[in-house]
Amino acid sequence: MNMRHTELTDELQQSASLFAAGAMTASERQEYQRHLEEDGCAVCREEVNELQSAISLLAYTLPSATPSPDVKTRVLAEARKSLPQPAAKRPSAFGWPLWAAASLATISMGATFYLVRVNTELERQKAELNDRIAQLEIRLVQQQNSIAMLTSAGVRVVDLAGQGPNAQASARIFWDQQRRRWLFYVHGLPAVPADKSYQLWFVPAAGNPSSASVFNTDANGSAVIEITVPDAITSLKAAAVTTEPAGGLPQPSGAFALLGAM
Amino acid sequence: MTIAISGDDRAEQDDIDLILRMASKDATALDVLYRRYHRLAFALVFRIVGNREDAEEVLADVFLQAWQQASRYDPVRGKPVTWLLTIARTRAIDRLRSSSRQQARTAGFEEKRENKPSGSEHDPLFVIETQSVVREALQTLPEQQRIAVEMAYFGGMSHTEIAAALDQPLGTIKDRIRSGIMHLRKRLRTYL
Repeated sequence: MNMRHTELTDELQQSASLFAAGAMTASERQEYQRHLEEDGCAVCREEVNELQSAISLLAYTLPSATPSPDVKTRVLAEARKSLPQPAAKRPSAFGWPLWAAASLATISMGATFYLVRVNTELERQKAELNDRIAQLEIRLVQQQNSIAMLTSAGVRVVDLAGQGPNAQASARIFWDQQRRRWLFYVHGLPAVPADKSYQLWFVPAAGNPSSASVFNTDANGSAVIEITVPDAITSLKAAAVTTEPAGGLPQPSGAFALLGAM
Repeated sequence: MTIAISGDDRAEQDDIDLILRMASKDATALDVLYRRYHRLAFALVFRIVGNREDAEEVLADVFLQAWQQASRYDPVRGKPVTWLLTIARTRAIDRLRSSSRQQARTAGFEEKRENKPSGSEHDPLFVIETQSVVREALQTLPEQQRIAVEMAYFGGMSHTEIAAALDQPLGTIKDRIRSGIMHLRKRLRTYL
């Protein structure tokens, strides 16, 4: 491959797919990268860009995970360390008395320091407010979606009761049968430690349960999950939550935490 | 948080502005970018490297690389979130290969595909609707295509490695990966 292509062929699309998926061998990847960078092939570049955008969306299907706050501290500290340090002050080249120059420098530095602090604080506040606005916009979309679902026709409500030591817990499923979605709310269910997970199950009228979701509750014992009911799930007799090893299992093995009949 | 993927052009422009500020060495922009995408990037890195300690080290490297290479970001080549996730995947695959855990990760694919992704139960900031759309698109993929795409993207395996692991002809695996990605692109076009 040593040219700029003029149109996208099946073969070129194949190569772009393999590159975007990260499925090329090391030597193929190196050669293809060279083609993109050195040949400057716009046809292949455009296809790769779009396919990379598509496949990167797979990250959104992954269970959410939160890193330690230490990571952010380290990132910001390293980043700030890499910033160029202010140059050292040179002696004044003018014939001003030393005390005048020193005073002026002190005042100037003080004012600069004050302005930098004010500016930094304003930047920080602006960043926080932008972040907060973005969070609220997302929450608004989520809540609008939830309201739309809860108020749509054909939504069935299924209550789940706490079992055993979790008798105080409760949950409710809003089942949008038309769109095949569950909106699952749980309250009063204490969070499990890191080596365990809660797992929600579709319990069919016949056959083995299948996993609906793996989750944990927050510090208040609450969780909200939206679940797509697979087409293969046709007749359900119950929904159940069990306690399982972290990440869940293909079939339930632990004690029931919540159970509700359909 | 998933800002740019919402389809909101203003939010995407906001992300681009952050990268531009990072290129001019404004650390507050890095702070915002981190808060906005660290969970998403961490989920990807964690999925690939398989343990929290390595994933946290890789995550730090990802954001530091973004900080150092912000001036090289080109909006024509994709959204900032795609750029960041591409860095994250590349770093994570490098770590996976260097730690020689690929064999163990490969062995888990059959089981992993049985456990559907659980979404954002720990993180109310994730856009549930977007997750659902992407998840649905993935679920509509023929199983064999989905496995091939996931083995490549999450497992860091080349087509030859996947073909050997699944005992399938190389051409079949290439076709499955291509068809799988084309399907995702078609279903998710409005998010690209």
